[in-house]
Amino acid sequence: MSATPFADRARIDAFDKVRGATAYAADVPLPGMLHAILVPSRVAKGHLATLPVEDAMRVPGVVRVLTPDDFPPPPEPVRFPNADAPPTLHREIAFRGQPVALVVAETLEAAMEGAEHVVPTYEEQTFAATKRSALAVREEARPTVFGDAEAALARANATVDVEYESPTQHHNPIELISTTAVWAEGRLTIYEGTQFASGLKEVVARILRIDPGIVDVKSPTVGGAFGQKGWVQQQTAIVARAAMLTGRPVKLVTPRGQIFHLAKFRPNSTHRIRLGADADGRMIAAHYVSDQQQSRGGTFPSNYHAGPSRLYGIQNYYGGAVDYRIDTQPPGHMRAPHEHPACFAFECAVDELAYRIGADPVEFRIANDTRVDPQNGRALSSRYLNECLSRGAQRFGWERRTPEPGSMRASDGSLVGWGVASGTYPALVTATVASLRISADGTTRFVTTHHEFGQGIKTAIAAVLLDGLEIDPTRLDIVLGDTTAAPQQITAGSWGTFSVVPTAALAVERMRAALSELLGGRQVSGNIHQQLAAIRRPYLTVDVSQLGPGQEAAALERLRRGQYAIAGPTFPEFTSMSYIAHFIEVRVEPTTRRIRMPRVVSVADCGRVVSPRTAASQVRGGVIWAFGASLREATEVDPRYGGFLNNDLADYVVPVNADIGEIEVDFINEPDLLANSVGVKGLGEVAMVGASAAIANAIFHATGKRLRELPIRIEHLL
Amino acid sequence: MQPFSYIRPATPQEAVGAFAQAGEGARFIAGGTTLYDLMKLNIERPRHLIDVSAIEGFNRIETDGDRLRFEANAAMSAVATDPVVARDYPVLAESLWKAASQQLRNMATVGGNLLQRTRCMYFRNGAGGIYPCNKREPGSGCAAIGGLDRGQAVLGTSDTCTAVSPGDWPVALVAMDASIEVLGPNGTRSMPVADLYRLPDTTPHVEFTLDPGEMITAIVVPKTLAGRRSTYHKIRDRESYAFALTSAAVALEMNDDRVERARIALGGVATRPWRAPEAEEVLAGQRLTPELALAAGRAAFRDARPGRHNGFKVELGARTIADALRIAADRSRT
Repeated sequence: MSATPFADRARIDAFDKVRGATAYAADVPLPGMLHAILVPSRVAKGHLATLPVEDAMRVPGVVRVLTPDDFPPPPEPVRFPNADAPPTLHREIAFRGQPVALVVAETLEAAMEGAEHVVPTYEEQTFAATKRSALAVREEARPTVFGDAEAALARANATVDVEYESPTQHHNPIELISTTAVWAEGRLTIYEGTQFASGLKEVVARILRIDPGIVDVKSPTVGGAFGQKGWVQQQTAIVARAAMLTGRPVKLVTPRGQIFHLAKFRPNSTHRIRLGADADGRMIAAHYVSDQQQSRGGTFPSNYHAGPSRLYGIQNYYGGAVDYRIDTQPPGHMRAPHEHPACFAFECAVDELAYRIGADPVEFRIANDTRVDPQNGRALSSRYLNECLSRGAQRFGWERRTPEPGSMRASDGSLVGWGVASGTYPALVTATVASLRISADGTTRFVTTHHEFGQGIKTAIAAVLLDGLEIDPTRLDIVLGDTTAAPQQITAGSWGTFSVVPTAALAVERMRAALSELLGGRQVSGNIHQQLAAIRRPYLTVDVSQLGPGQEAAALERLRRGQYAIAGPTFPEFTSMSYIAHFIEVRVEPTTRRIRMPRVVSVADCGRVVSPRTAASQVRGGVIWAFGASLREATEVDPRYGGFLNNDLADYVVPVNADIGEIEVDFINEPDLLANSVGVKGLGEVAMVGASAAIANAIFHATGKRLRELPIRIEHLL
Repeated sequence: MQPFSYIRPATPQEAVGAFAQAGEGARFIAGGTTLYDLMKLNIERPRHLIDVSAIEGFNRIETDGDRLRFEANAAMSAVATDPVVARDYPVLAESLWKAASQQLRNMATVGGNLLQRTRCMYFRNGAGGIYPCNKREPGSGCAAIGGLDRGQAVLGTSDTCTAVSPGDWPVALVAMDASIEVLGPNGTRSMPVADLYRLPDTTPHVEFTLDPGEMITAIVVPKTLAGRRSTYHKIRDRESYAFALTSAAVALEMNDDRVERARIALGGVATRPWRAPEAEEVLAGQRLTPELALAAGRAAFRDARPGRHNGFKVELGARTIADALRIAADRSRT
C-alpha cells in the first residue's frame, strides 16, 4: 500500500525567518501602545493584606495599576479548565509568582519601575511545595485496567519491580510569553502566541463577561509552543482588561524569570512499574502506578497509560494514577506530555526485563509486537514499530554490540553504551474547516483551522496544495491561527497535520472539480491563475470541512464555539498510534564521567511523510529535547520557600549545540489510509518519546548502572 | 530599575576622578555583561555609572619582554586569540575560550571579568525578600546552607556564605602568579590577583580588596616556560556556555617525566579563585604518574567542607586536577 512519496521542499517560511522578517504576536506595531509589567506574588500561599498603588502611580509615565478590584467576580458555576481560579488578579494567593497587579505605562521602563513600587503585604499561610510536603493531598485518578495484572505477574517466569522519576521541567521556548490587546470600536482584539485562538476568545470573553462575538484573537507564527501556550494563559485576560480600562492598546512581554511561575510546566512524576514475562520471553503483565504533582485546582490529567499500555501486546495491564495536590501554578502539557516520562520509565523497565531474561533488547521488543490495541482488541490502523526497530538496528550497526555492560570501549578509553527504546503516541485528529481561493491575479489564499509554531504545518499544507494544483507557489498565502479567518482549534498532541493535511487534500479535490466544471470541457492553457484570467473569472473559492474517522458531526459545532473537537486514538473501527524506535550511543568519560551522545538513529512510523524536511527536523528536535530532559533539565524547588529557584536560562540547563552529536532520521513512510485520505499520522510528540529511555539504557550498557531518576548527571556516575 | 547618571570619561584618570565626585552608589562599567544583568535582577542598584569602555588605548595586549600585560579593556576574545597567549599560555587562552559565549567574550573585558559576582542561585534569583542572602542583604542569612547547594563551594566557605567564585580567567591568573595594576584616588598600586579576593568569613558582601573608587587598569603575567605545559580543564553541566562544576588551571615545569614545580588553581569549588599548594607539594620533584596525579588532586580537597548535594565536587575536583595534570604534561615544551 504505497503512495508516491512527497518531494523534499524547503520550509515556506524559511526565508522570512532567517531574515528576521517573520512577525510574532509581540511584533505587531500599534499606535499609542502602552506597555505593561506584572507584579508577581512574593509568597507561595496566603492572602493580600494591602496592595498600595500610590507609589507606582507617582512614577512618571505610569498610566494605571490594575488590581483584583478591576475584575468582575468569577461567573459561577463556570469552571476554567486547568486553572485554580479564573486567570485574572486575585487577593487569594495560590502560588509564588501569581500576578497580583499589572502596571501599565507609556514606556516599558516606566512600567518596570512602577512594578517595583508596588509592594504588597501578605498574610502568609503554610504551603506544600513538593509532592512530599506534609500538606500535599493525595488523590487517586481512575485507573486503566484490562486483564488481570496481579494474577499474570504471579505466574510470570521473570519480573522486574522498579521505580523511575521524572523532574519538574519548564518549556522555555525562545519566544517569551506575551499578550497584546486592543479595545477599539466595540471590539477586543488579542494578539498572542497561542495554540488555541478560539478557545482563548471564548474563555477571555467569559472571564471578562463580554460577548465572545466581539472578541478576535490572532496568533501569527508562534515562537515555540510545545504545550506551554495550549490553553488560556495567566496573563491574557489581565492584559485585555487593561486595554478595556485604558482604551489604548496594551502590550505585555513577560520577563523570562517570571515565566517559571506563570506558565504551565511538566509536573514532577514517579513511575512504579512491575513487569512480568513468560518462559517464551513474552511480556504478559504490567502493573504500573504513576503519580504526579498537581496544583490545588488543576485538571492536568494523570493520563500516563495511553502509550505504555499499547506499546506491546501485553494482555494484562493495571495502570494506576495518583495526583499530589500542592501549592503551585497548574502544571500542564509539555512536549510529549505523559508519553515522554511514561515511556522513559516503561522502556527502561522493559530493558531491565530483557536483561533479566538474557534477551537482546531489540529482539525482545520485536517479539512482543501486537497487531491489535490491547486495551480493547480493536485493529490498529497501521503499525510498523517492528520495522522501525529492524531498520534502526541495521542502520545503527546493532549487531556489533556486545551485550555485557561495560564491555565496549572507545579508543580514548571512554565507556561506550548502545541503548534502544521504542516510543508511541496516540494519533489524534480534530474537526477542521478550510477555504481555498485561487485568483486570476496570481494569488492563492488558504485559510484554515490550526496554528503554526515552527513545527512546519504551513509547509505540509503547501506540499499538498502545490502537489495537486498548478498555482504560483511564490504567491501562496496560508492563514492560520486567526479567529477572524476561520474557527480555530487547539493545535497540540501531534494532530495538526493529521487534521489539516487531509482537509487541504479535500480542498484540492473540490477545487479541481469546481474548475473542471467551470471550464466545461474547454481546453485553456496555463496554470490555474491563467485559466481563470482567460475565462474572466476573478477568483474561484471552495469551502470544505472535515471530521476524523467516525467523528460525530457535532464536533464541527464545537469547533465553531471554541470548544474541544478532538477524536482518537480509538476510532469506531480501529485504534491509531504513531511509533518510533531510537538507537543511541553514549560515551562516558573514564575519569570525570562526562556523558556524551555522539550518535543517534531514529526511525519513525508516522504514516505518510508529507513534508520530509520539517518532519526530519521535528525528530531531531525531539531527540535533542529528550537529551535535555534526561541529562540536563530540572526546575529546582527549595521546599522551605516554595516556587522555582533556578528561574533563568543560566541555571535551568538546556542543551547547547556542542552537546549534540549526529542524529540520523528515517521514516517508514507507509501511508495509513484508514486514518485519512492522505495517510498521515502525527509526528511531533512521538519524535521524543522513548529517546530518554534509550539514553538511560545506553548509560546502563556503558557503565552497568541503572539510573532511574532524571536528569542523570555527572555525580551519579562518579 | 531606578534612575542613574551615566558618563563616558576619556582617560583612566578622568574615570577615577568622576567616581570620587559621584560619591555614593557609583560603579565602573566596561563590557556590561555582569553589571547590567545584576541591575535587571535588582541586585545592583547603582546611582552613577562610569563607563570606561570609551577610554582609548586602554585595551592593549603587550607580549614583549619578560611579562604579558593586558590592559583592562582588552576583550576576552581578543586576549584568547592573541597568538603569543594562544601558543605559549594555553591555560590563559583556554580559561577565556571556555567561559561564556562568543557574544559575551566579544563584549566582556579581561579587567571587568575579575570582578564578576557569584552565580549562587539564591543570590541571583531571590531579590525582593524571597530568599535570604548575606551577600545581597548583609545579615539576612544564607538560604544556600541547608538548601539546594549542588553548585556551592566546598572550599573557603564560612557559616554565612558558601557562594562560589564563578570565574575561569581569575583561576588561570592565580595559577600563573599574575598581578593587577590599580588606579585610585591615591594613585597607582599593584597587587597579586590572588589578593584581590576575600574569603566570605563574616562579611560575604565584601568580596574584593579594592578600595572605593579604585579601578583595575591592567593585568600582568610574568612569563614562564611552564606556560607551554599548561591547561585550563573545566568540567560543567554541558559542553559549553556554563559555569564550572569543577575546574583546574595547571602549569608544569618538568624535567623529563619529573615535575620540578606545579602551579595549580581551582575554580567552581571555592569561594574565591583557589590556589592549591597542598596539591603542588605532592607533585614537587616527583615522577608524574596517574596515581600521583590523583593523590595531588585529593590533597587539594583535604579541607573541603561539602554540604548536602555538592559532595561530588570533592571527588570530581580531584579527578579534574588529575586529568588537567595529564593534559598539561602531554603538551610539548616547544
